[in-house]
Amino acid sequence: MQFLGRVGTVLLGLSLVMAMCLPVGAVEPVKIGVLGPMSFTQGEGHWNGATMAADEINKAGGVKVAGVMRPIKLIKVDTNEFLSIPDATNAVEMAISRYNVDFLVGGFRTEAVQVMQDIAMDAKKIFIGCGAAHPELCTRVTKDYDRYKYWFRLTPINSKFLGKVDFILLGTAAAIMKKTLGIKKIKVAVVAEKAAWADPIVHISQKVLPAKMGMEVVGVWRPSPVAKDCTAELAAIQRSGAHIVFTTFSSSVGLTFAKQMGELKVPAVAVGINVESQKSGFWEATGGKGNYVETINTYARVAITPKTIPFYDKYVKLYNQAPNYTAGTYDALYILKEAVEKAGSVNSDKVLPFLEKTDYIDTAGRVVFDKSHDVTWGPGYVTAIGTQWQDGEIKCVWPYHWQKVFYEGTVPFKLPPWVVDYWKNKK
Amino acid sequence: MGLPGVYFRRTVKVLRTEVLVLPSRVAVLVFIVALMALPIFTQDYYFLRVLILTSIFAIFAASWDLLSGFTGQMNFGHALFFGVAAYVTALLNLKLGLPPYFSIPLGAVGGVLTGLIVGIPCLRLKGSYLALTTLAFPIILTGVVFAIPDITGGELGLAGLSRLTGSRVMDYYLTSGLMLILGFTMWKITDSKTGIILHAIREDELAVRTAGVNTTRYKLLAFCMSGFFAGVAGGLYAHFMRLAGPSGLEVGLSFQVIIWAVFGGMVTIYGPIAGVFILYPLMEILRVVLDNFPSLPEIRMFIFAGLVLLTLLFMPEGLIPWVRDKIETECPRCKVRNVFSRHRCRVCDADLD
Amino acid sequence: MILDIIIDGLIKGSVYALLAIGFSLVLGVARIINIAHTALYMTAAYLIYIGTKMMGLPAPVAMVASILLTVVLGLLIYNFFIKPIQEHEAAVLIATIAVAMMIQEVFLMIFGGHYLGVNPLIDGYATILGVKVTYQHLLALGLALVVLLATRVFLQKTRLGLAIRSTAQDREVANLMGMNVTRVAMGTMAVSVGMAAITGAIVVPLVTVEPTMWMHPLIMMLAIVVLGGLGSIEGSFVGAFILGFAESMVVFLLPMGSFLKDSVALSIMILVLLIRPEGLFGVSFEEER
Repeated sequence: MQFLGRVGTVLLGLSLVMAMCLPVGAVEPVKIGVLGPMSFTQGEGHWNGATMAADEINKAGGVKVAGVMRPIKLIKVDTNEFLSIPDATNAVEMAISRYNVDFLVGGFRTEAVQVMQDIAMDAKKIFIGCGAAHPELCTRVTKDYDRYKYWFRLTPINSKFLGKVDFILLGTAAAIMKKTLGIKKIKVAVVAEKAAWADPIVHISQKVLPAKMGMEVVGVWRPSPVAKDCTAELAAIQRSGAHIVFTTFSSSVGLTFAKQMGELKVPAVAVGINVESQKSGFWEATGGKGNYVETINTYARVAITPKTIPFYDKYVKLYNQAPNYTAGTYDALYILKEAVEKAGSVNSDKVLPFLEKTDYIDTAGRVVFDKSHDVTWGPGYVTAIGTQWQDGEIKCVWPYHWQKVFYEGTVPFKLPPWVVDYWKNKK
Repeated sequence: MGLPGVYFRRTVKVLRTEVLVLPSRVAVLVFIVALMALPIFTQDYYFLRVLILTSIFAIFAASWDLLSGFTGQMNFGHALFFGVAAYVTALLNLKLGLPPYFSIPLGAVGGVLTGLIVGIPCLRLKGSYLALTTLAFPIILTGVVFAIPDITGGELGLAGLSRLTGSRVMDYYLTSGLMLILGFTMWKITDSKTGIILHAIREDELAVRTAGVNTTRYKLLAFCMSGFFAGVAGGLYAHFMRLAGPSGLEVGLSFQVIIWAVFGGMVTIYGPIAGVFILYPLMEILRVVLDNFPSLPEIRMFIFAGLVLLTLLFMPEGLIPWVRDKIETECPRCKVRNVFSRHRCRVCDADLD
Repeated sequence: MILDIIIDGLIKGSVYALLAIGFSLVLGVARIINIAHTALYMTAAYLIYIGTKMMGLPAPVAMVASILLTVVLGLLIYNFFIKPIQEHEAAVLIATIAVAMMIQEVFLMIFGGHYLGVNPLIDGYATILGVKVTYQHLLALGLALVVLLATRVFLQKTRLGLAIRSTAQDREVANLMGMNVTRVAMGTMAVSVGMAAITGAIVVPLVTVEPTMWMHPLIMMLAIVVLGGLGSIEGSFVGAFILGFAESMVVFLLPMGSFLKDSVALSIMILVLLIRPEGLFGVSFEEER
């Protein structure tokens, strides 16, 4: 034990020395830690988005800090947060105390991000979240501003606004169904993964759908976020005679559900949130059975801003997949660059006031942080979009002339042909 | 020569006759001194964080050994105690505002109650039945956690607990000190009459029963004690991470603790502790080393699992018992342990070769 | 509704049964709690993905190849990592956990955490009594029945089957009677891994292929084996359907609580064990009597 303990200490010491012997250039780079589960799609998004932005910025000379052009150096921080939360905290602590990162971007699983946020706040490091949607992360800023002021959220819009968009998408789909199929009262099956963030959506839908939107809720199903089989739920939904399946999924269950729903050709349209269907791999993973699934999304190949399509195309070219919202690290880097240049420093307290005043057109819309350091939602700001899988391609279907918002390249929402057939024959 | 002198001489004597004669005891001494002295040399946040978590998991692994190693009640769902105590601690801290020195012991009491609740149905089960049944409990509880998000926070867990102590160094001394004290306590328990009975139950329950011992009561006691120590670990974890969440109940954690304990060497208490102190920092060393090779995929876990597998092939009893057998021999006559280089027993002078 | 529950439960149960029977065999004969059992099931699934999607092989060829490769892998694991430490129960246990973790990490390294999918052998669905069932699920159900029958015949009518049964009953006496217990264990391992691989092959089009897909079936499988009684093939079969029905009943009767289906299924297992500690069809092992 003595011997091994010593070997351990020596090894740890050696490796730390190795870690400290980083190449030192003439100018100190601006160091940004990219946090994410790097073996998973989410982490890949974090890393790819950040790499793309860093390469672009460095090619253009770097970040101008108080008259000196400093390059960006990214530190890849594999948080492994899906499998181990202590691992995530160790990784963040290492990035801060070993690599002395100036800023942090990324993060995904809310349970882990809360802890990572605490570590970043302890060290007074600005942390721009690109992945976790829970409002609690930003509520902390309003509750304890002095401590949590270094936290910002860029993507996605928080789950309260996600809920709003969600109901707009549902209303739009229902209107289309009514019109094309002549259905008088739309029946909705609410299916939401059992998670705290989905609870308000379920709660509101049970109230708002019958009272305000003139629809009937035929049932609420709450499968586990990691359920591997949804055939029972689907059989029950089919029995209920639902026209629309209002989905709220952020985890793997979304994929299982969509795949089995397509396989069984359940005569209903899936509308809502299904994070899995935002990924390029969705089509292949469902074997094309996920056709016509609609979800809220952040990116699609439409001109949300003039920057979106170039960003989207370059991303697809470089990484051979479409960006999902964790690739918001791309914009996070540009937003940081702007604030750092204005502040003329990388010191968190100096950058902070400029970051708070951010008004920046990025790839997903116009970014303005609100009081809780959350990204503002609404027409003229970041709206988020609705996308639908149409024969192997992700198409933007919303906003389709909503509040005078229309992004060039948006196409109309399509009903699955078997749904049309089923309800036409039924009459 | 005043009183301090007497104590000093006595300490030196104990050191010379009881500690320095055996390499394993020297190792323990060096380990304790090194652990206590470490913050003098470095107060690096990352370094201390890793060692704090190591200490917490060491308590956890030793508590598994206390139940599974000593009574043979193989527990596949040990994360249950850890998770329940973490939630109880978090609730007490957040809802009632209890400070850590109240909430952690009470959380551990939660672990004891869990031990009782799980222990009673499990008493009728034996061997593999028990092992596989215990796996189910944390999963059932995870369902409950998700069912009542108002209390448990659902997938978010409960965050924002008050800090363990004011500073990282104090956190370090608290956790490593507790680890040493609780480790020693557990070791003493296994050495006591209770411990011997537990050990006997493992070897032959029927015989123990025939000897007039109420084995049921002892097995339940083992569940409760193990629940208590695992609970302390869970409470410390919750306060240190400032989070109690569903990840504390995951199957992965239950498996992890078995690996640590069996790798280090079951039925020893110090084996699992050593197992954690080797394997947990190893993962971090790998992280630091592999960071220099960014092109490699994430292979830390692979190396970890491979290493465990290879170690077992050569040392199926675990690492520490294997090492101990190499450096020490037991006197055939008086059962006292001797350093391997001796030819005659240090107590009874019997021939060792 | 009752029809839905029955059909859905039957299908769920059949997949579980395939896994549980294979696991049960090895447990009964060699006393190995093989945690890596479902990791091998995952291996077969990934191999089929590689075969059909990456190498463009026809599905049946890829299936057979992947089953064979998985069996070989299983035997290699048994030979190199389990057999040498067979006498140490705890060591075997964590060896199988470590193997499972290594398999998971290998696929995580190669494919990342991406969710992958394989096309079904037979596309589409049938409508039975108003309930839609995919052909693939029907195939799984049919195969579960065939495999169960085949296993029965194999155990009752062949020499190896006889050897397996006698070893399961009393290892020492079997050894004394001149049976090569190690070889019997090898044979059992091959059959067991083969069944895991076959399950993987059938189930793969219905599930998402990803590196942690072995965890959930593992838990359900362990629960079934305990419920049915360790080492009992019939027990595993019945247990699988009990848990399958339990799961679908939860979804149909308590839609808001569908996420509780695992919890409910596992609670049923614990309740049964409270009444019958040796499981439904269990025979207490000699050394544990």
